[in-house]
Amino acid sequence: MLDPTVLIFLTSGLFLGWSLGANDAANVFGTAVGSRMVRFTTAALICGVFVVLGAFVSGTGAAQTLGKLGAVNALGGSFMAALAAGLTVYWMTKLGLPVSTSQAIIGSIIGWNLFSDSYTDISSLLKILSTWIICPLLSAVIAALLFTLSKVFVRKIGVGLIHLDGYTRLALILAGAFGAYSLGANNIANVMGVFVPVAPFPDLQLGQDFSISSAQQLFLVGGLAIAVGVFTYSKRVMMTVGSELMTLTPLAAWVAVMSHSIVLFLFASERLEQLLASLSLPTIPLVPVSSSQAVVGAVLGIGMLQGGREIQWPRVYGIVKGWAITPVISCLLCFVGLYFLQNVFQQTVQRESNYLLSASVLEKFEKEGLETSGLNQLSGSTFSSSAELVRVVGSQVNLSSQQGLKVVEYSLQKSLLISRENIASMDKKGLSPQQLEALQKLEGKTYNFPWQLGDALAEIDSAWKVRGGGLENKLHDRKIKQKLAYLYRIFQWREK
Amino acid sequence: MNPLNLFFKKQYAVEEKIQRLLRYLEDMSLLYQGAYEAYLDGNNEEFAQRNEDLNKIEKELDDLGLQIQMTLMRESLMPDSRDDLLWFLTKLDKVPSSFKHSLGAMALEKPEIPQDFREPLKKMLAHTNDAVKALAHATDSLFTDLRAVRQHVEEVGRQESEVDLVEYKLLKAVFENESFELARQYQLKGILKQLGAVTNLAEDVADAVLILATKHAT
Repeated sequence: MLDPTVLIFLTSGLFLGWSLGANDAANVFGTAVGSRMVRFTTAALICGVFVVLGAFVSGTGAAQTLGKLGAVNALGGSFMAALAAGLTVYWMTKLGLPVSTSQAIIGSIIGWNLFSDSYTDISSLLKILSTWIICPLLSAVIAALLFTLSKVFVRKIGVGLIHLDGYTRLALILAGAFGAYSLGANNIANVMGVFVPVAPFPDLQLGQDFSISSAQQLFLVGGLAIAVGVFTYSKRVMMTVGSELMTLTPLAAWVAVMSHSIVLFLFASERLEQLLASLSLPTIPLVPVSSSQAVVGAVLGIGMLQGGREIQWPRVYGIVKGWAITPVISCLLCFVGLYFLQNVFQQTVQRESNYLLSASVLEKFEKEGLETSGLNQLSGSTFSSSAELVRVVGSQVNLSSQQGLKVVEYSLQKSLLISRENIASMDKKGLSPQQLEALQKLEGKTYNFPWQLGDALAEIDSAWKVRGGGLENKLHDRKIKQKLAYLYRIFQWREK
Repeated sequence: MNPLNLFFKKQYAVEEKIQRLLRYLEDMSLLYQGAYEAYLDGNNEEFAQRNEDLNKIEKELDDLGLQIQMTLMRESLMPDSRDDLLWFLTKLDKVPSSFKHSLGAMALEKPEIPQDFREPLKKMLAHTNDAVKALAHATDSLFTDLRAVRQHVEEVGRQESEVDLVEYKLLKAVFENESFELARQYQLKGILKQLGAVTNLAEDVADAVLILATKHAT
C-alpha cells in the first residue's frame, strides 16, 4: 500500500507539472490557437495526449542528467524543490516576467545541494548552463534554415491559397503534436526528475511481459499533470502568446513551432543519441532545455533572417533578464523552504548518508585513475556530507569535477544483501541470461559499497562490464549503469 | 479517394464556390460585350434581353458571394487567409457592379453614338472582355497555382493599357469635334469613362490578387 504522505509530497511535482502545462503548451500551440488557426479544444486534446506519450516513452534521457546535478534523496527535499520551482514559475508569470520551468528546477536543485551540503557536479551544471545559450541559438539557426527552405518549397510547388491554407493548418497540428511529444519527453525531467532518485512507487508488473518502472510511473503521473494544466489554464496563455506573435505569418508560425520541437527533441531523444553514436558522430547531451527559450530563439531566428527590424530588442533583453533571475529566486526559495520544512515542520528533507574512505575505497580510486598518494592519511575517515568529502579530498589531491563525482559515488556507504527472495521478486526483463546467471552466483553475499556489487558482477561476466571511453561505449555503459542502479535499489539492506 | 479531401472538405467547398463565381464573372463579361455591341448595332431588343440576363446573373453572383462570405465566417479557413479572401471578394464584387452600372447608364441615357466611334468602342469592349477573362484566370490561379498568378495579372495590365489608349483617342475626338454640343460631349465622356472603369477595376482587383499571391507564397 502506498504511503499517503508520498502522495502529499508528490503534489508539489503535480503543481509544477500543472504550471508547465499551463505555460509551456503555449509555446507549442500558442501561435496557432491565439490567432485561431487551430481550435483550442483540438490543440488541448493533441497537446495533452502527446505530452503524456512523450513523458512516458522518452522521458528518461533528460532526467538522468538532472539526477547527476543533484540527487535529492528524500521525498521532503523533492517536495520542496518542486514547490519552489512551481512557485517561482507561478509568481514570475503573475508578474508578467518570462518564465522557464527548466531554470526554476535547476535553481531548486542547487538550493537543495547548498542546504544539504551535497556536492554539486560543476561539469553537469555547466553542461546544463551551456544549453541555456545553445538552445535558443540552435533554435534560431534551425528556424532560419527551415524558414528559407519552406519559402523556396512553397514557391516551387504549384498550390493555391486554400490548399496552402489547409496544408499549413495540418502542418501546424502535426508540428504541435511533435512539439507536445518533445515537450513531454524533455521537460518531464523538470517536473518529476527530482522525485526519480527517491523512487516513491514500487515497480508495477502488468502480466508477464509488461512492467512499468517507478520512474515511468512518475513520468506518467507528471505527464497527466501537464495535460491537466493544458486543459484547464493554457487557453489564456495561448491567446496571449498568439496575439503577441501575430506578426508571424502562418508559415513563420509553423517554422517557429517546428524549430522549437526539433530542439527539444534533439535534447531528449535517446534513439537519436544512439544513432549518432553508432555513426561515430558527437552526441547531443540529453538535458532538459527550456521550451520558452527554444520558441523565443526560433522567432528571433526568423526575425533576423528578415533583417531584424521587427524584433523588439527591449523585450528580448527583458526575456534574457528573466532567464537569469528565475534560477536565483528558485534557489533561494528552495533553501529557505527546506529550512522551514526541516526545522518547523520536522520533516526529513535529506536522507543521512555516510561516506567512508576505507582502504578498499582508496584502492578503487587508484584503479579508476585518481591520484591517491595524498589520501592515505585520510584512510578510515568518515563524512556525513558529499560536499565536505569532496572539499577534504580536494585539499589533498587535484580533483576534476568528474572525479569529484566519482569520489562521492565510490565512498557512499550503502549495505547491499543479495538475497534469494529479492532475486526471485525482481524484474528480470532487462537482464540478459548471462547477467542473471552472474547475479545468481552472488546469492547470499553482502557489500558495504554499491560499486563492489558492480565490480563483482563484472568479474564473473563481461556482460556487466562498464567499458568506458569512446562514443561507441557510451550507450552500452549507460544501460549497464541503469541496471546496476536498479540492483542497488532492489538489494539495499537496512538493519531493523 | 484522396484522404486529404476529407480533411480539407470545408476548404474545397469554398474553392468550388469561388470557381463558380469566376465562371459567372466571365459569363457577365461576355453578356456585357454582347449587350453593348447590340446597342452599337442598333439592336435594342437584343440589348434589353442581354441587359436583363446580366442583371439576373449579377443577382446570382451576389447570392453566391454572400454564401462564400458566410462559409468563410464559419472558420473554414485560418483567420489570416479568411480576412484576405473577404477583402479580396469585396474588391472583386465591384467588377460585376461596374458592368451593371455601365449598361444601366446606356439603357437610361440612350446616347447617340457617332458612327466612327462604333469600331473603336467594339475594340475597347474586346479588350475589356480579355481583361476580365485574364482577371478570372489570375483569380483561378490564386486558388490552384500561386506561381501562375503573375502572368495573368500582367495580361490584365496589358489589356487595360489598350483600353486606356482607345479611350483617350475617343475622348480627344469627342472634345475636338466642334459639331458636338457640350452636353453631348459630357454624355459621351461619361459613357466612355464607365466603359473604361471596368478595366480599371479589373486591374485593381488583379493587383490585389498579386498581393495575396506574393504574401502567401512568402
